[in-house]
Amino acid sequence: MRARVLAKADLLALVDCLCQDYEVIAPFAGRGRDSFFEPVTDQNRSAIRLHLPNPSYPPKRYVFPHIERMLRIHLDDLPHIEPLYDAPKRALFGIRSCDTAGIDHLDRFYLGRDYRDVYYAQLREHLFLVNVVCTDPDLDIDDDCFCMCADTGPAARDHFDLQLMDLGEELLAVAGTPAGEAYFSQPLFKKATPAHVNRRREILAEIRKRFKLATSWYAGTSRLITLKKVSNEIWEQIGNRCLECGGCSYLCPTCTCFTVTERPAGPGDYERVRIWDACALGGFTRMAGGFNPRRAAHDRRNRRFFHKLAHYFIQRDLSVTCVGCGRCIGVCHGAIGMPAVVEILRQASVGSEIHATTGA
Amino acid sequence: MQPPAPDNVYLPKIAILDRTEDEIADVRTFYWHFDDPAVQTVFKRFRPGQFAQVSVFGVGEFPASLPPSPTEPNLFLTVRKVGSVTAALHQLKLGARFGVRGPYGNGFPMQNYFGQNLVIVAGGIGLIPLRSCIVYALHNHERFRKILLFYGARTPGDLMYLNELPAWQEAPNFECYLTVDRPDQAWSHHVGVAGSLFKKPGVTVPVENTMAFVCGPPIMFRFVIRDLKAMGFEDRNIISTLERYMKCGVGKCGHCCIGLAYVCTDGPVFTYEQIKRLGEDI
Ligand SMILES: Cc1cc2nc3c(=O)[nH]c(=O)nc-3n(C[C@H](O)[C@H](O)[C@H](O)COP(=O)(O)OP(=O)(O)OC[C@H]3O[C@@H](n4cnc5c(N)ncnc54)[C@H](O)[C@@H]3O)c2cc1C
Ligand code: SF4
Ligand code: FES
Repeated sequence: MRARVLAKADLLALVDCLCQDYEVIAPFAGRGRDSFFEPVTDQNRSAIRLHLPNPSYPPKRYVFPHIERMLRIHLDDLPHIEPLYDAPKRALFGIRSCDTAGIDHLDRFYLGRDYRDVYYAQLREHLFLVNVVCTDPDLDIDDDCFCMCADTGPAARDHFDLQLMDLGEELLAVAGTPAGEAYFSQPLFKKATPAHVNRRREILAEIRKRFKLATSWYAGTSRLITLKKVSNEIWEQIGNRCLECGGCSYLCPTCTCFTVTERPAGPGDYERVRIWDACALGGFTRMAGGFNPRRAAHDRRNRRFFHKLAHYFIQRDLSVTCVGCGRCIGVCHGAIGMPAVVEILRQASVGSEIHATTGA
Repeated sequence: MQPPAPDNVYLPKIAILDRTEDEIADVRTFYWHFDDPAVQTVFKRFRPGQFAQVSVFGVGEFPASLPPSPTEPNLFLTVRKVGSVTAALHQLKLGARFGVRGPYGNGFPMQNYFGQNLVIVAGGIGLIPLRSCIVYALHNHERFRKILLFYGARTPGDLMYLNELPAWQEAPNFECYLTVDRPDQAWSHHVGVAGSLFKKPGVTVPVENTMAFVCGPPIMFRFVIRDLKAMGFEDRNIISTLERYMKCGVGKCGHCCIGLAYVCTDGPVFTYEQIKRLGEDI
């Protein structure tokens, strides 16, 4: 492990170092348990915290913006088409382990397979990730966190440039990339000793016991979905609770769907933009002429969980497409966030298994 | 699979509209060439059954099949006016510039069928994606056994590409059977659904060593599949193209998924065996 330590009091000094090289984005506390990512400025710099609830509005927007301009189209005698790229050098300070895993998923999705997404690639290439390990059982770990089940947290194993972990008086810094390691030449970093590494292990062992929501029976659910053991009635039950707001997909660190549209941008000018989209929404698959292959809400809900949990997609995407951040639990008016659906499927399968043995 | 991705897969290439031809009501064929000859050369390596993403600048983009065969000199699209972007394409004047990117999708693996019979069943504008494989097969007709086309539409006025039939019929191993649901006075061919042609006196549909291509509206598709299965066709010897809402064409926007498959990159061509295993109804 390429590790160093720095004094907790030097946290802002590290942020200042990053600010020399990047536009730095950090989470800030709002009212209650609200929090939000914002660019660091001279004014808000002192409000940077190591421990605070993870913002609901996910950091995926720094690689996959909510609305992203793709092309400028100028209509004159001849149309003039120009791709628009906006990829500033950014450091995301304080990204949680679940969201780091989310970005890793997006990397595999947008950069892999048949085609490479150049808009994503540019934003990602210029993004430096400073992961902060969740160690405060009250501030960092929410009632809804289930990264333990998704195997993404509380401490990310990779996919960050730098990782910081609170050891009490000091912070342990781990470099995940050469770019991260380069910062270790700054005088604020000191050598880490085996005692530091031990302390890290102890804290993690302790914090793992402090999760409130520890059940999310993925493997079993995957099996049921893959083998098509989930009855249509169960999907209907789940679908009936969906209000089709799309919130779950918008807040999901691994949801990738978008729509594309053209909008006016001045006289004779148009922009082609892409916008987050959600398979929960009624129009997602509706074709010209009105034919919609997924008419019922439960066909669409089924879709989301099928994609996230079916074995085929786990193979295709190389992981369960859920990182355990818990945002869908918080946002869903119908109480059908991921753990709830997993639980509904588990109970239904227990029911049907009992049914199968007694009915025989 | 696809050739290595160019820098920006979402960037439309400039196409220039050379000529249009009306096919049937609301359906028009658009002949075009690329502004950049190098783009034209690369694009011309498309396969039957592939599609392109077509932009009308300032309005939007939509997927359209490539009805020409790569063995033909011209590039063209045949598009029905149904919504905003297709209507805008219909408005374009000759010489106008629009955008095309692609070709996308898997296409029909025509070489795999050398030495076999082809039974091609089309309903309405389902002939658009199949035209490419018909013309490709006729161009290489000595490499196939029989090539049978069964083509049905609602009325005689809904049949497309009819002016090409005489040229197609020059191939010695080609047979074509037409049918409509509602004939007019001048109609001298069959009346009935596409599948009823299979039982018409004088028609022999080969089943052994035969690939069946089916494209058309969902109801027609279901009935034709039933008829083909009744004749003894195996699921893996029936092949079709699927249509889904699409935005990107390159496997990223997520709109076109059916069950396990992305129609834009895994399809749009699927065998019936694959369609049944998608895990979601089509
Ligand atoms: C692989 C494939 C090949 C196709 N080939 C042809 C063809 O050769 N000729 C032809 O006339 N039509 C074809 N279609 C259908 C054609 O794409 C739609 O009719 C067209 O998208 C409608 O666009 P619109 O803007 O006029 O309609 P609107 O209702 O205004 O649609 C807006 C947008 O929604 C999406 N969309 C809506 N309906 C469809 C649909 N049925 N399929 C895909 N995307 C849709 C498109 O992005 C479209 O621009 C094909 C569709 C697919 C998927
Ligand atoms: S957040 Fe809940 S109600 Fe909203 S779309 Fe998702 S499942 Fe449906
Ligand atoms: S059209 Fe976008 S994923 Fe297939």
